[in-house]
Amino acid sequence: MSNAQKKEESFQPGYKIIGKPLARHDAWDKVFGKTIYADDFVLPGMLYAKVKRSEYPAANILSIDTSEAENLPGVKAVMTAKDVPNNETITRFGQTHSVGGFEGLYRVLADKKVRFMGEAVAIIAADTERIAKEALKLIKVKYEPLPGVYDPLEAMKPSAYQVGEGESNVICGYKVRKGDVEKGFAQSDVIIENTYRVPPQDHAYIEPESGVAWTGDDGVINIRVCTQVIEHYREIAEVMGLPHNKVRVIGSMIGGGFGGKEDITVESYLALLTWKTNRPVKLTYTREESILSHSKRHPYVLKYRTGATKDGKLMAMEAELISDAGAYVYLSPWVLLYSTVCATGPYNIPHVKVDSRSVLTNNTFSSAFRCFGAIQVCFAYESQMDELARSLNLSPIEIRKKNYLKKGKALATGRVLDHYVAFPETAEKALEVLGEKSKPESPYEKIGQGIASSMQSYGRMVFLHDTSRSYVSIELDGSVIVRCGVQDLGGGQASSLAHITAEVLGVPMEDVRVYIADTDLTPLAGTTTASRQLYMSGNATLKAANEIKKSLLIKAAEILGKRAKNLDLLDKKAVVIDETSTSIPLTDVISACASEGIPLYNVAQFNAPFRELIDFKTGQGQVFPDFTFGTHGAEVSIDTETGKIKILKLIASYDVGRAINRLSAEGQLEGGTIQGVGYAIMEDVILEKGVTLTPSYSEYLVPTSLDVVDVDKVMIESGGGIGPFGAKGIGEPSMTSIPAAIANAVCDALGVRIFDLPLTPERIVNALKKS
Amino acid sequence: MKTYLIEIKLNGELKKVEVTAQETLLEVLRDKLGATDVKDGCSKGDCGACAVLLDGKAVNSCLTLALQANGKEVTTLRGIGNEKKPHPIQNSFIKHGAVQCGFCTAGMVVIAKAFLDQNQNPSRQEIREAISGNLCRCTGYEKIIDAIQNMALESKS
Amino acid sequence: MGELEYLIPKDFEEIFSAIEKTKGLAKFIAGGTNIIPYMRVETMSPELLIDLNGLEDLKYIREENGTITIGALTTISDIVASEVIRNKSQILHSAANNLGSPLIRNRATIGGNLADASPAADMAPPLLALEASIHTKRGEVEGREIPLDKFFVGPNKTVLAEDELITQIRFPIPKDSARGIFIKLGLRNSMTISVVSIAVIIDMDGQVCQKARVALGAVAPTIIRAFNVESKLEGEEINENIIQECADIVKEEISPISDIRASAEYRRLASSVMLKRAIQQVLKGEGL
Repeated sequence: MSNAQKKEESFQPGYKIIGKPLARHDAWDKVFGKTIYADDFVLPGMLYAKVKRSEYPAANILSIDTSEAENLPGVKAVMTAKDVPNNETITRFGQTHSVGGFEGLYRVLADKKVRFMGEAVAIIAADTERIAKEALKLIKVKYEPLPGVYDPLEAMKPSAYQVGEGESNVICGYKVRKGDVEKGFAQSDVIIENTYRVPPQDHAYIEPESGVAWTGDDGVINIRVCTQVIEHYREIAEVMGLPHNKVRVIGSMIGGGFGGKEDITVESYLALLTWKTNRPVKLTYTREESILSHSKRHPYVLKYRTGATKDGKLMAMEAELISDAGAYVYLSPWVLLYSTVCATGPYNIPHVKVDSRSVLTNNTFSSAFRCFGAIQVCFAYESQMDELARSLNLSPIEIRKKNYLKKGKALATGRVLDHYVAFPETAEKALEVLGEKSKPESPYEKIGQGIASSMQSYGRMVFLHDTSRSYVSIELDGSVIVRCGVQDLGGGQASSLAHITAEVLGVPMEDVRVYIADTDLTPLAGTTTASRQLYMSGNATLKAANEIKKSLLIKAAEILGKRAKNLDLLDKKAVVIDETSTSIPLTDVISACASEGIPLYNVAQFNAPFRELIDFKTGQGQVFPDFTFGTHGAEVSIDTETGKIKILKLIASYDVGRAINRLSAEGQLEGGTIQGVGYAIMEDVILEKGVTLTPSYSEYLVPTSLDVVDVDKVMIESGGGIGPFGAKGIGEPSMTSIPAAIANAVCDALGVRIFDLPLTPERIVNALKKS
Repeated sequence: MKTYLIEIKLNGELKKVEVTAQETLLEVLRDKLGATDVKDGCSKGDCGACAVLLDGKAVNSCLTLALQANGKEVTTLRGIGNEKKPHPIQNSFIKHGAVQCGFCTAGMVVIAKAFLDQNQNPSRQEIREAISGNLCRCTGYEKIIDAIQNMALESKS
Repeated sequence: MGELEYLIPKDFEEIFSAIEKTKGLAKFIAGGTNIIPYMRVETMSPELLIDLNGLEDLKYIREENGTITIGALTTISDIVASEVIRNKSQILHSAANNLGSPLIRNRATIGGNLADASPAADMAPPLLALEASIHTKRGEVEGREIPLDKFFVGPNKTVLAEDELITQIRFPIPKDSARGIFIKLGLRNSMTISVVSIAVIIDMDGQVCQKARVALGAVAPTIIRAFNVESKLEGEEINENIIQECADIVKEEISPISDIRASAEYRRLASSVMLKRAIQQVLKGEGL
């Protein structure tokens, strides 16, 4: 493990709290059942809402008759598109650049046409849930079914059914050009060409979408919702035709997000119904409703052509990426950009040509999901690496070692990697832990091992002027308050801020109270997405806490007659470094500051370094602040007669930069790996002509405890991250490469490659039959 | 609506409540008895988030009619332990980092308690079997198993 | 379903008079693990729920006179825990232990599982292989004894009349020389609906098969016995050729469908593989 880089912020050679396996402070509330999740919240006089959803994936709406529903006793409001002040809003991404294709239409309720099965057509609020459910049945919608289009390759054709209204189904596209791929292929001794397909994946968080809204005395619409993005309040205000300061979003502790609660889910419906009825309203999706109507991971068709010399040196890579955006744009352009930048994988390739497109279809819309476009291409590029290795008779690690990027080298997009790149280190360690192949227990069993390396960005795209703010204050008695808009989805987002503050101010973690996720009361910290919170709100909190520390140390220096730079805060005291017996109680220093009016609070803003938008003709530019690098390993046993896979070993070998909270970091590696196992072997939102055939957890299968094993973890702490104390984001990267590792293990076992996920028993059996 | 008056002992306290024939125990616990520590993940027994102890046996409260709990003892997470008197299982969950988003936690603690009451020396595989009716999407199950296994070990010493 | 009524009778009289009064609009509920989900999506909208849990004396597992009798209200987890079942009918223990999840097993009952008659029900294949029979009680007329292989008539359909209640499941304890196995193939390892399930019991006399019972689930509109496979095995010295022939025959005896879990073709293949393995493992001496 490399030594921690000297950080200006800390005067101490070691850390007091950072890196120790401390319990997250929100965890106690959860284990005692005290946390008030979105659906746990109730208000007197609360109404219950339900959503009427489209019965067709593509259809014209001829008429909607809500009269019977409105007349049902107990129904307080029935609303359709005509009742929404601004039913359609356009979201523009990026501030100073107007770029076509980055405008997403957000439509609250379907108006003349429905674009996917499960699209919201009307909303109801009633005295009880039962009445609301009954009222749903009484809403009469007349549809004229339309053919629709369900395959992105079909949808790309000029003659295809138009999903939207008067625009092409192709939402956007990117290019990367480096060198000359034809030259590169001419110099290659072997060229491997394959088409990979990956399915839609459901986030399947155990907490379904939910929220409660109410109108305040001052006409403010308050929405308490499990969301990763409280800043949707601006969009909701636009929907409602209200000024931004009249919509307040409070983020409840989230029961799982993974990107599925990143877009607006229930908020608009709640705002409308509370505004209409002037009563509090609750809306909670059923599981079926959640699977039917919320965003999915983008299915992709990935055509890869990779050329290498006989020594295994990569010469050229040509990739065509097509993502199925589903019915609405949402975050498709960004997911596609991530895929495009990461399409080569962490490899040095002299000639690269990538063309990517995202296409509308009448399937459920696709949007953010942990790993955000990087996981789909990883499945493709890491499968390609193993295919090259096979044809060149090299081992998987050998071929990778010949090509891994290093610090100082550039991606195909021209971005130079300026921090430590943990290759081949993470791959070598993964192999070490993988060890000897297990022996099969019966003649029809085959064992395989595989590794896969990945690069996954953390932090939002650098042309987005990403900022995060945090407020820290210290009370007269030394207890600390942090106020930060961070949304906590269970990854320790809020708790990390307590860690950081406690570390800086030299107080125990229990003395730090963190208030989060309230657009009216906490400084905005940006989205809990892109594995960015530790980097962004962590740095903002660090900055704020350091300002207070500075003031305290200056005052302490005065009192002690020492120099401030020789002092530190430790165990609720200001101490002299190297002479810690010389100290003053922190509360004394605080009193002294307070009596002189020296502020003991600070609101700090951390700005992610800004870079210009990439050049869309060549795909050259920075795009991401930093990457997390790592390797997954897997060993599988395959029953070659039934095709059933048994997971024998899982290894997650990652450079986390710095593990602020060790248990949390491990938890991310374990959870991400298992969620990736699901994607690899069993998860598939099966849609047939836009109709979801996996409506509940009985059909949509996620791994149970009996489907997986313990994850062997190798956590490297290079200190090379741009987060506080050198931390990197780990929430997403922990999942990126495991599906490819499993696919490689399967190929190793069977000697034949499968190009689609999930690797179901039937696919395995069919692949064996063909070979 | 036809209603029935039932009596259940919820975490040691006698409760009387009016219920309809189709209300599930889950609905009544959450909506009428304030037991919001019991979670609803799927309403049909596929996820285990709603697990409670019914006369000591761990069941999906979404698959039990409220009427079927009449005259019985129902124990939820809050009845197993609280901040004034935490149950060792709860301490163990915290100590081992078994709580991320926390939504599956109530069901996991309930099944863990029922399991550990019957098994004082479980293997990791036995623990995996015991929690195989409880989905977790965040932790990958590992630290939950650590917590349960170590609690068993600790309570022996 | 606004006025759903509920009754928890203490005896059969109460049950049958309630059924009479509601004429076809009453449904039994035992564990509730099937009924409650059906009501939630309104596949079932009864006007009266008759809770059978008041019949305390329908919960038992007994061994008497070479027969095992199980009360219809016995929960699946009680079956899993039963020494008698584990020792005398291992395949039933195995099927019970794989049904649903530990939480579901604490509520689901054997009577309920059979009455639901899912084509993929887990308890039925072993019981078919054990040549079980169902005992019922009826309101107007005498109850009857129905051999399990005459019990299922279609997906979720049995021969039970509206006013007929399963009281007991009974099967003869297999001979000491009998060996059997239950194998379930699902897309994951817990809480999974079978893609194919198979129960095989073979009674050997030296090298020769005296009696074979083979039952499959999830490959036909009901759980079925593979009679042709059984005839092929009986009276034969079982060797690899015979086993392969059986593996081929079983493909013709089943009528699987294609659904989101698997194609019909895959189910045929898997049935064949699982039958082969089941016979091979039974011959190796897998217990019963």
